[in-house]
Amino acid sequence: MKLLHAITALLLLSATAFTARAEETVRPVTSTYTLEAGSAHLHDTYLTPLGYDGMTTAFTYQRAQAMKFNPRHWVMQLRLSVGMDHAENPARNATMWGTGLTAGWNMTRRWRLPHDITVAAGGGTALNLGALYLTRNQNNPVSAKCSWTLDATGYISWNTRLLNIPVTLRYQPTLPLTGIFFSQEYDELYYEIYLGNRRNLVHPAWAGNYFAMDNAVSADLKFGSTWLRVGYHNTLLSTKVSAITTRMISHSFVIGISGEWLSLRRGAIPPQSSTIISAY
Amino acid sequence: MKKLIAIALLTLVAATIPACHKIEEFDNDPKGNFMALWSILDTHYCFFSEKNVDWNAIGEKYYRRVYPDMTQRELFEVCGDMLDELRDGHTNLSSGFDVSYYRKWWSDYPQNFNLRIIQENYFNFNYMSASGLTYGILEQNIGYIRYASFAQPIGEGNLDNVLSYLASCNGLIIDIRDNGGGDLTNVEKLVARFITRRTLMGYISHKNGPGHDDFSEPYEYYVEPAQQGRVMWGKPVVVLTNRSTFSAANNFVSVMQYIPGVKIAGARTGGGSGMPFNSELPNGWGIRFSGSPVLDAKGLSTENGIAPSPGCEVDMDPADEARGIDTILEFAIKELQK
Repeated sequence: MKLLHAITALLLLSATAFTARAEETVRPVTSTYTLEAGSAHLHDTYLTPLGYDGMTTAFTYQRAQAMKFNPRHWVMQLRLSVGMDHAENPARNATMWGTGLTAGWNMTRRWRLPHDITVAAGGGTALNLGALYLTRNQNNPVSAKCSWTLDATGYISWNTRLLNIPVTLRYQPTLPLTGIFFSQEYDELYYEIYLGNRRNLVHPAWAGNYFAMDNAVSADLKFGSTWLRVGYHNTLLSTKVSAITTRMISHSFVIGISGEWLSLRRGAIPPQSSTIISAY
Repeated sequence: MKKLIAIALLTLVAATIPACHKIEEFDNDPKGNFMALWSILDTHYCFFSEKNVDWNAIGEKYYRRVYPDMTQRELFEVCGDMLDELRDGHTNLSSGFDVSYYRKWWSDYPQNFNLRIIQENYFNFNYMSASGLTYGILEQNIGYIRYASFAQPIGEGNLDNVLSYLASCNGLIIDIRDNGGGDLTNVEKLVARFITRRTLMGYISHKNGPGHDDFSEPYEYYVEPAQQGRVMWGKPVVVLTNRSTFSAANNFVSVMQYIPGVKIAGARTGGGSGMPFNSELPNGWGIRFSGSPVLDAKGLSTENGIAPSPGCEVDMDPADEARGIDTILEFAIKELQK
């Protein structure tokens, strides 16, 4: 809680100090729509002692914008993603499905370095809702995966040229630090939860029982106003609570489009002296 | 720049190492599959203490029969024999060629049921069916409902129709002999027609850790009477049971036995009070076993079956059966005529 208060105070202070400057700037929104496809490894000991391997797909929308209070140094990102996994057991006679919905927001402080390199660090929060479904199980077919986390994040990006095309190369890791997550008890049936037993279902997350990491590597190839994004996305979730261990790993190829958009009120043309400050 | 890229790549590689929380893995060979099965039961099965089973000794005994070159069928037989030691009708090993099944919980007892006798001699094949219920009125003006499986869904409208039709009867017989269970929500739906207030159905518990005696506090659960406007039953009821009354049907008996005006007649039920859990072995075989014990409203286990009400224990007389008479049904009719 103290950390939250400190962050809030810091933001308010920054906002006050830079309000005047913000009025002279234009902050375009960088929107990105991507599709992902790749490999998935699903393992949940509530459902089965075996790991399942298969494929993952996802659709993601990301929105990034420099912050109003200090656009040169602070950037926010919003990320909404929906995904689905399909995997089989080693004997290939059983199927597990995974679904997930993620909504995340973060804010990072960035530093411009020489050679068009930017590094940033900050924090955020994310809500994850999903489930694993093992079709061969009768009374224990589902393991819900829900969490709310406070995350550390950052990125490093490099604006360069590739075959004379402007390119932004970027790597962004995100690491949940704490939060809360759902887990039924060891052999607790969801039928018992349905009957009303809600004891011990929500658990505080810490590094010992909840480890997750998200790694995104991307290259934005800037063909005019629309950019082509290609990249690699890796997610890792490993939890252990109530003697149930879960491990979910994905490696995906990413492709999508991206671009910067300026939202203006009718007739409100920004003065020529305005400074455009991109989120990238 | 190179340093930054190196740091980024190292972070990425570190993140993909899947060694965060250890998960025990077993080889896909006869010994690995046997150990996986033994271990799954060891950490999840819920009746070791209640049945006084020494699982370590059993594991050692059957492990000696496992050798590297054995066929899948040979391994299946060893595993099936080991599971039989649990004496549990809810414990099955499923392969592509067979399902192991402990049958002695009913095969060592008289069957006490002959459907053809009822259909032919009591209804002259003139009975009705609605959803999973077969019903009619016996000549003594007693209603008869047969529910063959709790896996067959019952609609509220079906129940209204059946109970309305039987409303003029002096009593009701619910025959769940040979009912091997099904869905507990169907139990709630049926019980809801025989109660007038919120009623304690029993307690459910679950393993909360891998130890043989790691259990959660039993959680009491209730059933509400059917919604207002639904047809209810308040006259005397006799529930007919045999050893093949199992699982959800056993659960139905565990609730009905405490409802005023209800008697249980016939033979001890087959039990099966552990809610089944599923798991699997590296070779793809499925395993089902009792994972969550359900207790009755007095907190008593019904895994070994439920005895009929005092004075209502009746077996089918073979001489009666030969003459086309259902001894247990006749007993129930007399009880309701008292």
